[in-house]
Amino acid sequence: MALTPETLPRHELNGLPVRVVDSDDDGRVGLEGRVVIETTNTLSIEVRTDGESRVVTVPKSGSTFEFAITDEAADSTKESGTTSKLADTQPGGTERSAPSDSAGEGVAYVTVDGSRLLSRPARRTETNGDSPWQ
Amino acid sequence: MDVAAERIDRLHDLARAAAADGEDDRARYYVRLARRVAERNRLELPRTFRRFTCDSCDAYLRPGTNARVRLQDGHVVVTCDCGSHARYPYDG
Repeated sequence: MALTPETLPRHELNGLPVRVVDSDDDGRVGLEGRVVIETTNTLSIEVRTDGESRVVTVPKSGSTFEFAITDEAADSTKESGTTSKLADTQPGGTERSAPSDSAGEGVAYVTVDGSRLLSRPARRTETNGDSPWQ
Repeated sequence: MDVAAERIDRLHDLARAAAADGEDDRARYYVRLARRVAERNRLELPRTFRRFTCDSCDAYLRPGTNARVRLQDGHVVVTCDCGSHARYPYDG
């Protein structure tokens, strides 16, 4: 299971290029960079502007992120078999990962509501329910 | 390969890149997160990951920069800057 638009909310976010599409705080809209640190409630985005980099912490709730998935992940946007499983594992989150407007070859942009990512970083991958010790 | 194993692979790459950039604390964060993912999903960490990370301080080891690698009789000793040793055998 590679990194596809369907698996992205369960996959590693660190290192992905991201853009803040929408946010409660207007000052954060349009931020562009790479995710460097993920916590339960925030993503830290490293923004590089002409040589110098700064790290901005963006809360997950109230923000909408657009992740860019490059290379091999882009061509498998069709297999949506995992979508239903995702809906099971994270109820309450709105499924908004629309594999929209693929610009150019090999790049897919996935828009995810930040509330879907609210989870501890290591916990997000797991498919089991609340009690994994069964 | 499931998502968790891939996450560990990606975190390994991120940790290596961060260590190469001199971002030691960030590399440490990635190493810890990879360990945590492996632990939660009951996966074995890849051998290269185990050999290139410090067991006690979670630093990503770069021989010559923050780790010393010495060959002894029948085993390799990797010494991290934090002072802890890791040993593994070799043949030949």
